[in-house]
Amino acid sequence: MPLAERKRRQEAWMTRTVQLTLFATAREAVGASRLERAVPSTGVRLDTLLESIAEEHPRLRPILRNARVARNGEYVVGKRLRVRPGDEIAIHPPYSGG
Amino acid sequence: MRSPSTRRTAGGEPISSEVTDRPITLSQVARRLEDSGSGAVVLFVGRVRPEVQAGRRLTGLDYEADRRMALARLSDLERQARRRFGTRRIHVVHRIGRLRVGTASVIIGVAAAHRSMAFEAARFLIEELKREVPIWKTDRWARGPTGRRRRTRRRPRGARSPG
Repeated sequence: MPLAERKRRQEAWMTRTVQLTLFATAREAVGASRLERAVPSTGVRLDTLLESIAEEHPRLRPILRNARVARNGEYVVGKRLRVRPGDEIAIHPPYSGG
Repeated sequence: MRSPSTRRTAGGEPISSEVTDRPITLSQVARRLEDSGSGAVVLFVGRVRPEVQAGRRLTGLDYEADRRMALARLSDLERQARRRFGTRRIHVVHRIGRLRVGTASVIIGVAAAHRSMAFEAARFLIEELKREVPIWKTDRWARGPTGRRRRTRRRPRGARSPG
């Protein structure tokens, strides 16, 4: 893991936050490529976290339905998983590379 | 923004995918395929295609990637292609950033003992790349009738294929 990233995660853990990175249409819907959310040290369910963000950014809701979600570089299967301070969540709308 | 040029998988196989914000060239990919045991080399180039919609002209595409995950997925695809088609060398480079019409966005190179393996592996790699690798494009259009530069909706997945 690159140093800058490790540092960011360490800081995130200290401040008890989860970092979200938004790509493509998700970024456009929110108007930012990064979001930070404070979470309890016991963690929070991923679907709860995403729901609270969708409430603040309603344009994100339809995008989330089709998006893949990754935690710390691994795709998440089932959104009941708990995210904890220091975790990095990425929102991936359908891919369009090539 | 360049990946190290020689990385290996846990099993020691070389992994050579790149996601870069610099121009990509055929020679850069061909160089990585040199191998005296390969009877066939296939090179695929995907380019930004010109397009006109409602009288407005596409000037280019903005590409972005989740770089770390894109490299992991590309390495995965290389491994799969090697296993399925028995290829000898694979090199995939994808460019990100602002690309004008006509610019190469992706180059896939495959070297194999026989041409059928090389063609099939190259086809497999571009199709899977479009479906499975976290890279996105956004259209950029020339000034419209309103005089405003508009960034419009993203095309649905697969609506624009390179080449």
